[in-house]
Amino acid sequence: MYPRIAMSAHAIRKIRRAALHVCLPLLLAAGNTDAAPLGLALALNSADGTISLIDMDTYKVVGKAVACKEPHHLMPSPDDKSVIVACSASNQLVFFDPLTGKEQKRIRNISDPYQLGFSPDRKWFVSNSLRLDRVDLYDASDFTLKARLHAPRTPSHMAFDAASEYVFITLQESNEVMAINLKTLKKEWVMPVGPTPAGIVMTPDNRYLLVAIMGEGYVEVIDWKTQKTIKKVPTDTAAHNLHPRGDGRYYFVSNRSVSGGSISLLDTQTMTVVEKYDVPGGPDDMEVRADGKELWATARFGRRVQVVDLTTKTLKTSIPVGSSPHGVFFLNHAPRK
Amino acid sequence: MFQQFLDTFVIVQGWLLDHVVQPPLLALGLGSYLEVAFDGVEFFLYGVLQLSIAYLLLRPLEHFRPLEHWADRKAVRVDVLYTFLDRLGIVPLAVFALLSPLFMSLEGWLRFHDIIPPQLEDAFPSLESYPLFSFFVYLVILDFAEYWRHRLSHTLRWWWALHVIHHSQRQMSLWTDSRNHLLDDLIGGAWFALIALGIGVPPGHFVGLMVAVRIVENLSHVNARLSFGWLGERLLVSPRYHRWHHAVELPAGAQYRYGCNFAILFPVWDRLFGTQYLGEELPATGVQSTVLATPAHADHFWAQQKDGLAGLFRAVKATLGSERR
Ligand SMILES: [Zn+2]
Ligand SMILES: [Zn+2]
Repeated sequence: MYPRIAMSAHAIRKIRRAALHVCLPLLLAAGNTDAAPLGLALALNSADGTISLIDMDTYKVVGKAVACKEPHHLMPSPDDKSVIVACSASNQLVFFDPLTGKEQKRIRNISDPYQLGFSPDRKWFVSNSLRLDRVDLYDASDFTLKARLHAPRTPSHMAFDAASEYVFITLQESNEVMAINLKTLKKEWVMPVGPTPAGIVMTPDNRYLLVAIMGEGYVEVIDWKTQKTIKKVPTDTAAHNLHPRGDGRYYFVSNRSVSGGSISLLDTQTMTVVEKYDVPGGPDDMEVRADGKELWATARFGRRVQVVDLTTKTLKTSIPVGSSPHGVFFLNHAPRK
Repeated sequence: MFQQFLDTFVIVQGWLLDHVVQPPLLALGLGSYLEVAFDGVEFFLYGVLQLSIAYLLLRPLEHFRPLEHWADRKAVRVDVLYTFLDRLGIVPLAVFALLSPLFMSLEGWLRFHDIIPPQLEDAFPSLESYPLFSFFVYLVILDFAEYWRHRLSHTLRWWWALHVIHHSQRQMSLWTDSRNHLLDDLIGGAWFALIALGIGVPPGHFVGLMVAVRIVENLSHVNARLSFGWLGERLLVSPRYHRWHHAVELPAGAQYRYGCNFAILFPVWDRLFGTQYLGEELPATGVQSTVLATPAHADHFWAQQKDGLAGLFRAVKATLGSERR
């Protein structure tokens, strides 16, 4: 049951070449025009049920893979060997090879997966059902269900602490952050945050949770050990998601407004916004190139993947993809810190 | 060109979201509904597109090849109102808002107890690789379910009291398709939600095909001389075929006691279940005036809604009364 992959012979050659070279140390290639190809980027089109395969050198869509009905979010497996697509309407996880965009396998009977996460120790696989107010905790080694928790209302994004003792989940409609203890598999606490919390990450020093507050356009800084909000950093309308730049200090914050959409750069040491780029179309999920030169973001409402040149700090190109792109991934990415 | 169309669509959709929908949602603390709102704006825009195409294609047909000549189109106006309320998403939004808490809690409960509602793809995994094929399989099954819903709404007395609103129009036109009692719309929504719980939902991304389906539904009510040909009339519900469903005088025969030609898209269901009538003539449409409570109000929206409820009430009372006897 491999997905139909429609692409030209040229594109296939190109991807094969990318597959051969992507394991080479890509950092060497930075700035070198004769460098090895950068490989494929995978963008998930939620409303089309497909994945657009984009050649990172030419910024052209070179193929398409069928995923499933209503996929939401994609995430890499901890070893980067697979990209996992959460198929909420068809109760599956579909694994794709990030080198070729080919389907690897399907895991069925995962009930309504919406947002996924692996704990840093790779022991836990967590799946949120946003629609049905539920969090499922699976054994990451074999995807067997270990616990199922009510999480009213609308559990959205998640983050883990460094020791993999907790998973923290934003409850989008009840304006809260919930902490689940991964030892007891029980809810440990719930704390109020600003209106419509979405993206959540742990700072590299494991001290603070950063929560994007969509309703008022700021990042809420939480000392999670005391469950106290210590700062609110205004970014822009509809602050939605956070992604590390890869240097252990800076985070990109996508502000998911359509015409006024933007991405802010947050310094987690000073907790201030230091840069901002205009990115139209409702930027949502992000990925940073390993050489730090480009930031890719899915424009959820614009049917595009936006590429920001981080040297000139401007929109470099805009790639038309499918409907409601939700999640982008490439192997050639910056470290997740 | 398609990319240009999409780009324009995205700009209009984005503008509406940014300037009309997002500010009040954020101000009311309803930011969580932004994605639903975005889909809502899309539904609205595809509705505008679908109606524009239907109007541009079918209105000239009604003008140049009319089947019935009317003194004026006054009686059509209320159907235009029904169509806008339906196709632009106002009625569907209300139906969704009323039903979704109920069905979500039902589904939430089932899933919490590890019962995952089945879907066609579980039985036929290859459908997953061929979404277009899968779409047609769902379309056929849903049309089959629609046939039975429609047939029941003619057979059950209380339901007919509501559905008769759709049939009371004597000047049937491209706008008549959406003329339904609001409660009938709500029941239709629940019917669909139940089926979705039983077989899953069709892949949602063939918007162009959905637009085409809606145009066919408008077409089946059009006031124009039009034939799909011998084969066409048997494959797809045509204006002539559906006109017989709306006929004041039903064809003779016990099998047509409650009506004929109940199919919405594919006439095959009538063929299989003995309710098909392939008449060559083009009958007058409407219902006997004795069926309606207050025919004088026939062209007012709220009067029709009230009449439907009154008829429902009478039908329920009569049924209960006859049981007591
Ligand atoms: Zn009928
Ligand atoms: Zn009709």
